[in-house]
Amino acid sequence: MKLNEHSQNLGGRIITIQVVVFVLLALLGARLYYLQVVRGDYFSERAENQRIRLIPIPAPRGAIFDRNGKILVDSRPTFNVVLSNEPIKGIEVDDRVDEYAKGLSLEPAYVRERLVSIKKQNDFETLVLKDNASMQDIAWVESHLLEFPELRVELQPQRFYPHGTSMAHVLGYVGEISPKQLESDEYKQKGFRPGDIIGKGGLEQYYDEYLRGTPGYRKVIVDSRGRVQSEIGKVDPQAGQDLVTTIDLDLQNAAEQQLAATPTKRGTIISMDPNNGEMLAMASLPSFDPNIFVQGSKTKEGRKQIAAYWQDPQRPLYNRAIQGRYPPGSTWKIPESVAGLEQGAITVAHSNLACGGGIQVGNKFTRCMGNHGSPKLDYAITHSCDGYYYRLALKLGIEGITEMVEQFDYDKLSGIDLPNEKISQTPKSWRPIVEKREGKWSDIRTVYSGIGQDTVVITPISHLRAIASVGVHGKMYVPHFMKEFKPVGAVGEEGDPSYIPGREGFTFLHPEAKPIPMTPEQEEIVVRGMWGVVNNGGTATSIHIPGFDIAGKTGTAQVAELGKDVGGKKDHAWFVSFAPAYKPEIAVLALVENVGFGGSFAAPAAKGVYEAYLAKKGILPQVDADQVAKQ
Amino acid sequence: MVAIIEKHEIRDFDWLTTGLAIAIASFGIWQIHNALPTESYWTKQIIGLLIALAAFAVVAVSDYRRIIDAAPIIYVIGLVLLFLVLTPFGVEVNGQRAWVRLPLVGQFQPSEFAKIPTVLMLAKYFGARKGGTLQLREVMIGALIMAGPLGLIMLEPDMGQALTYIPIFAAVLFLSSIKIRYVIAGLLAVVVFVPTAWYVGVKTGKIKRYQQERVNVVLDPDSADPRGYGYHTVQSMITVGKGGLSGTRGDTETSQSVLKFLPEPQTDFIFAVTAENTGFIGCISLLLAYALLISRLIDGAREVSDKQGMLVIMSIATAMAFQIFMNIGMTLGFLPVIGVPLPLMSAGLSALLSTFVAIGFVVSVRMRRFVN
Repeated sequence: MKLNEHSQNLGGRIITIQVVVFVLLALLGARLYYLQVVRGDYFSERAENQRIRLIPIPAPRGAIFDRNGKILVDSRPTFNVVLSNEPIKGIEVDDRVDEYAKGLSLEPAYVRERLVSIKKQNDFETLVLKDNASMQDIAWVESHLLEFPELRVELQPQRFYPHGTSMAHVLGYVGEISPKQLESDEYKQKGFRPGDIIGKGGLEQYYDEYLRGTPGYRKVIVDSRGRVQSEIGKVDPQAGQDLVTTIDLDLQNAAEQQLAATPTKRGTIISMDPNNGEMLAMASLPSFDPNIFVQGSKTKEGRKQIAAYWQDPQRPLYNRAIQGRYPPGSTWKIPESVAGLEQGAITVAHSNLACGGGIQVGNKFTRCMGNHGSPKLDYAITHSCDGYYYRLALKLGIEGITEMVEQFDYDKLSGIDLPNEKISQTPKSWRPIVEKREGKWSDIRTVYSGIGQDTVVITPISHLRAIASVGVHGKMYVPHFMKEFKPVGAVGEEGDPSYIPGREGFTFLHPEAKPIPMTPEQEEIVVRGMWGVVNNGGTATSIHIPGFDIAGKTGTAQVAELGKDVGGKKDHAWFVSFAPAYKPEIAVLALVENVGFGGSFAAPAAKGVYEAYLAKKGILPQVDADQVAKQ
Repeated sequence: MVAIIEKHEIRDFDWLTTGLAIAIASFGIWQIHNALPTESYWTKQIIGLLIALAAFAVVAVSDYRRIIDAAPIIYVIGLVLLFLVLTPFGVEVNGQRAWVRLPLVGQFQPSEFAKIPTVLMLAKYFGARKGGTLQLREVMIGALIMAGPLGLIMLEPDMGQALTYIPIFAAVLFLSSIKIRYVIAGLLAVVVFVPTAWYVGVKTGKIKRYQQERVNVVLDPDSADPRGYGYHTVQSMITVGKGGLSGTRGDTETSQSVLKFLPEPQTDFIFAVTAENTGFIGCISLLLAYALLISRLIDGAREVSDKQGMLVIMSIATAMAFQIFMNIGMTLGFLPVIGVPLPLMSAGLSALLSTFVAIGFVVSVRMRRFVN
C-alpha cells in the first residue's frame, strides 16, 4: 500500500473495486445454483423434450378376405412426400413454389397453398405435400436433401380396394377421423388423435377396432431444425387382425352383374345362407369407388368426385340392402301366409279363401289381377292371388298383422354387422300415426297391407331374413358378414413398457336363432306354394332350372300411392327365394327399382346368382356372367 | 533475449497469474472442443494460445514504463486500426462489421486490441498528475481519450465491445481521487439515465425491435417468445440448467451445441457449454479461478510503486471482471444478449491475444514493483 499515503484513501478505493467484483461473481454463482441445482431437472427435461421426437410408424390395417380366401381389401405401401415446418419457418414461400412444383410435378397454386398452411402450423408438425409419390419423386427428394431439408419421404400404407365399386357398401372405406368424431366421447375415450385413419362405413367401420393395428414409433434425436440425427429406439407397430368374411366373391360378382344388366341399373341383390345367416353376397347399385375416398380426398378431382357422389340423386353412397325401404308388394304374402296359419285364420286342411276378382271395402272395389275362384293357400302363393290376401288380411285384422310384424322382426333391426341399418316401416309403426291423423285405422289399410303396400315399407335385409326362415323350419338367423378374425402375434418383449400383447383369433358368435312356431305341415304348404311359383306354372316359371328347385315369390310393388296414377314411375320388381326348395342352401333376394314386373326383371336377376352358385358347385357348367347378363 | 532477463526477474515473475491464465485458457480449449467436437475451432485455439503466450512473454519481460512512455504512438496506432474497420479493409462477420483483414497479418478484431492503447493512454495521463482531487478539466481530457476508440467502435457499430470500455474509464476516474459525491452522483445519473434512454429509445425507434426483445426476455422470460428473439436466452438457460450439479462430462452426442439448439457455442455462449459439460461444480470452479486471477491482479496493483502501473493493472482487472460478468450474466439469462466474449475462454485469436497481452502488462508491472 505504498500509494496509500499520497492519495485520497486509494487503498480503500481498490478494495471497493475488489468487493464489487466479488459481489458480481457471487451473483453469478447464486444464479448458477438456481439454474443448475434448483431447476436442473426442469431444464434437463426441456432439453430432452426439444431433442427427442417420436415419429409414428403406422400399423398395417388388417386385410379383408372372402370366404374362400380371395382378397377383398388390402393395404399397399405408398410413399408420401412430407413437409415439416421447423426448417421451413425461415424460408420464403416464393423461394420454393416453383422448385417443388417442377420437381414433384405439382400445381404451383397447390404447392403455395400447402406451404402457406404448414407455416401456420405448430412446431414440428408435418403436412403431406404429395401422396402416392412415384419413384422419380422420391429420387428427386433424396437428391435435394441438403437443399431442401424440410422435405422427407414417409412410408404410408394405404388402404386399397382392388375390386373398386364392387361391395363398396359392405366394405366401406377408411379416412381421417373427422373433427366432429374427435369431439365425441366415444372416440375421445379410445384416444384418437387428429389425422388418425379410421373405418368409415361398412365393415371397415363396424369392425374398426379389430382391423386397426397399434401404431409403433421411432424415437429419434433431432437438431434445432428438426432434422433427425440418430435413432435411439424403435417400437414396432402391431398389425390389425385380418377379417375373413362370409362373402363369396363369385356370387357377389354375379349379383352385381345382374343388377347392372337391369334397365334402371338400380336396386339390390342379397344372398344368405339360410341355415346360419352367413351373407354370401350384398350388391347395391349404383355404387361408388372407395379408393376415391382414400386417395382422392387430397386432390381437387377427388374432392369433386366425392361431392358428386353426395349430390347424385341416384344416391350411390346409400346401401339399398339395409338402408332402403320399399313396399314389398306380393312378396309380403309369404310371412302373411305363415301368420295366417299360425294364428288360425286359415288351416292347412282348410286354407281356401275366395278370390272374388277383388274386394269391396266400403264404396271402393280393389281388384285382383285375375279371377282365381276360391284357391287354396299354395295356389294363391303360386299365382299371387291378391283377392285371397285381401281377405286373409281382413281375417288377421290389424292386430294379427301387428303380431306377424313382431314375429318376423320387421319392427327391429336385423342385427347385421354393418353400421347405419334402418328399421322397416310397418302397419305396426304406422298405426298410431294413422289413428292420430285419421281418427281410426280403416279396413282398406288392412287390405292394402295384405299385399305389401301402403303402410308396409321394409328393408330388403329384414325381408330376406324372414323369407329364408320359412325354408329352415322357422329359424330366423342374424345375418352377418364376419366369419373369422385371424390372430395377431405379440410385439416386443413381455414386461417391456412398449409390449403389445397378441390378439386372439375368433369367429362370429351366433346369437340364438329366433324361432317362428310352424308345424311341418304348415311349412310344407307355404313352401309348396313358393316352389310352384318357379316350378309349377307360377309367376316366375321362366327362371326354372332343371334339377334345382327354387322356391320363390315375385312381387311388383307400386311406387305411387295405390289407385293413383303411377306418373311414369314404374313399379319396383321383387323376387324373394331360397333353394333347393325343401332343403335350402342359399337364399336370394332381388329388388330392382322402377322396372316393372317382378317375374320379368327381379326373378331372372336372382336366377343369375343361382346359376353362379351352381357353377361353383360344379352342377352347371361355368357360365360367363356377361352372357347371362345379356340374356 | 535471455540475457536481458535478469535473475530477480525470474524470481519476481508472477508465475501464479501466468499459470492461472494458461489454465483457464486450456480449460476453455476443452470447452470449445465440447461445443463442436467435429469442427476445428479448438485446434485453432491451441495455436492461438501459443501465439498469445509468445506475445505475453515479450510484453511481460519488457519494461512497462517505456511502453507507457510510448503510449501516444500506440494509442494512435490503435485508432488507425479501428479506423481500418470502416474502410474497405473492414470485414463483415455474422452481419457485424468489426473485423479487419490485412495482407500478411490476416483477420482480426481491432476493438479487442484497442483496449490496451486506451488503457495505456489513460494511465499515462492520469498517472502523471500530482495528487489532489480530480479537476473537471482532467475528466474532460480523459473523456477525449476515451472518445477516440469508443466513437470508432460505435460507428462499426459494436455496442457490446463499446460497453467494455466504460468500466476502464470508470475505474481510472475512481482511482484518480474523484470526489465520492461525484461517484454517487454518477451512479444516480446512470440509474436515472438508463431507463430514460431506454424509454426514449423505444419510443423513437432508435432501439431496434430485436434489441428490445433481447431485453424483454430477461425482464420477463415467461412471456417471451422462446422461438423468437428470446430464443438465444432461453436456449442458453436450458443448456446451463441441463448441466445440473456435475454436468454431462464431455458426452456431447446429444449436447445443446452439437444439436445446434445453442447458438454461437464456441464464442459468446462458451460458458453455457461449460455449464452443460461440467455442471455447477465446474462452473463454480471456473468462477473461483476468475476470482483468484482478478484478486491476484488487484493485489499486484496494491504493491506497485508507481501510479501509472497501478492504473494499468486496475483498469485491466476491472475491464476483465466486467466482461466476465456481462458474458456470464447474458448466458445465465439475467442480462440481455450482447456480443462480448468470455475472457480467456471464448474461441477467437484477437480476444485471446489481447487478454494475454494485457496480462503480460500486469506481469511486467509486478515484476518491476521493487525497482525504482
